[in-house]
Amino acid sequence: MIQMKKELPQVFDSFAEARKNGFLAVKKIKDSGKGVVGQFCTYTPLEIFMAADLVSVSLCSTSDETIPEAEKDLPSNLCPLIKSSYGFAVTDKCPYMYFADLVVGETTCDGKVKMYELLAKKKNLHILQLPRNQFTTEAKALWKSELIRLKERVEKDFGVTITDDNLVDAIKKRNVERRLLKELYELSTMCPPPITGLRQLQILFGSQFKFDWQEKTDEIRSAIKNIKEAYEAGERPVSEDAPRILITGCPMGGVTEKVVKVIEEAGAVVVAYENCTGAKQMDRQCREEGDPLTNIADHYLQIGCSIMTPNPNRFELLGRLCEQFHVNGVVEMTLQACHTYAVESYTVKTFLKEKNIPYLQLETDYSTADIGQLSTRAGAFVEML
Amino acid sequence: MEKIAVGIDCGSAACKGVLLKENLVAATCVKPTGWSPRDTAKAVYQELMEQAGILEEETCVVATGYGRVGIDFAHKRITEITCHALGADYLLPKVHTIIDIGGQDSKVISVESGKVISFQMNDKCAAGTGRFLEMSAHRMGVDLNEFKKLLEEGKCCSLSSMCAVFADSEIVSLLAAGKSREEIAGGIVQSVVQRVMALAGRVFVESPILLTGGLADFEGMRKVLEQQVGHPIHVSQLSRYAGAIGAALKA
Repeated sequence: MIQMKKELPQVFDSFAEARKNGFLAVKKIKDSGKGVVGQFCTYTPLEIFMAADLVSVSLCSTSDETIPEAEKDLPSNLCPLIKSSYGFAVTDKCPYMYFADLVVGETTCDGKVKMYELLAKKKNLHILQLPRNQFTTEAKALWKSELIRLKERVEKDFGVTITDDNLVDAIKKRNVERRLLKELYELSTMCPPPITGLRQLQILFGSQFKFDWQEKTDEIRSAIKNIKEAYEAGERPVSEDAPRILITGCPMGGVTEKVVKVIEEAGAVVVAYENCTGAKQMDRQCREEGDPLTNIADHYLQIGCSIMTPNPNRFELLGRLCEQFHVNGVVEMTLQACHTYAVESYTVKTFLKEKNIPYLQLETDYSTADIGQLSTRAGAFVEML
Repeated sequence: MEKIAVGIDCGSAACKGVLLKENLVAATCVKPTGWSPRDTAKAVYQELMEQAGILEEETCVVATGYGRVGIDFAHKRITEITCHALGADYLLPKVHTIIDIGGQDSKVISVESGKVISFQMNDKCAAGTGRFLEMSAHRMGVDLNEFKKLLEEGKCCSLSSMCAVFADSEIVSLLAAGKSREEIAGGIVQSVVQRVMALAGRVFVESPILLTGGLADFEGMRKVLEQQVGHPIHVSQLSRYAGAIGAALKA
């Protein structure tokens, strides 16, 4: 069993108030005796941690603050998400990374895979061997065995036993979460949508950092209720004429909110997110009957990320969302040096052309230096709709 | 009352203004943008009013270009891509493709009846822009007019760097190796055109094609572009005002 970290980092005193509060909040969880697992990717089956009564948190960083520190070890022409996440690990500036007793990585993209090797020198790390195919028997079997290995690692590291009943219970709880968040973002199928795309993103993103399941689900329920009531009372935060945009591509949140802002400042509204912050992880429910670990494995393997080849599930979801949300245009955000999304953008462009849906690809990083260029591109795109 | 529309296209290098009376160009003005897009735009505006002898109250002003956000006296702000499409269609009716080489970015726009169908812009870098050309000319100790003359003989040497910073040192080496300024100028233009071609490759390029932007009257560059694209490339005397005209048409 591993020793759980409960002390604050040495650099704690130098932090600003907000960051200090973030650390103190996680310390409180740790002091209550709960273990923390950090993960980077939507493929990571959170049910396993939930079944072990652990707190899990996303470690994908969304700010350029620690990139200079990361670039001491990593090449500069690497995806900002990878650099930033690694940078937070080496600087002890992220409370979640710092307090994570176990960090779970996965073999998705090349940049992350090699970064994890370096991260393993600083953190207690477990790597999930994710296949790049979702349909062969071998791929499914590999993924299932990887989840068994993860379950065993969690049991060993935290000195717990995870039963099938624990897993089934976790599946049910996660399904409630998925259903509620889906219900929330589907409010934007209305015309005009009851919330801006920025608010939708902030709710979706923020929900990843709420650690008490009951509190989290209550909050989402009340958010849905408030939004509906305001709409019924006649509140219209978005104009009926605003062109409706779907965002696809790399995960979003934090500094990349800039992409949503430039689109909405140009007079359009973002109604849906076909990415890991949005529909990719909420769209489907995990099967509740039968062997829980098989169900979890089957559920997660079907996520349509560009690291899969071929990747039909992304296009099934994208096409369906475009219809369901009455989308007028699609904007794809690719992070600099994200090869899989950048290459797949050609397929997305062709796919949407056949459907006669205008498409714009925006490449960006975690800096704010490109706001002017982004707003010109997004502005021109909205004007042409 | 007759409709008077002013379009101001405030780019990174030059601020262009056009005054349209009943959709006809009645006045034009261009000034270097300098450090204050707002003040320069105001000066351009006032000069247009003087030229046309018109009072402020009668006009509608539309701003475009990267400086548009700072032009507080504009009634509307529209991106330069939409404006270029409209303006180009005004200058060359039924135009299908616009190649705009601007000070800070280059773009290739596919249009249909003045409406943007798709577009490509260069990334955040000076390669393939007027700024790249200007910096390179400066390195050879010539201004843009002299640079234009260097292109007249159609000489060329190969310049492998597209990056403005690397090209700068490459030019120094070429000069030291005894290459003529004419040859290097040709190489610089080739480099700009190559970058523009990379953008054009991602857009459906179809005749007629109009070249716009501050470098549109560089005949030497137009020829190279024409060879590479494989279609005739048109230029209008008002090419550099395409964005401003489009803005005025949106008033």
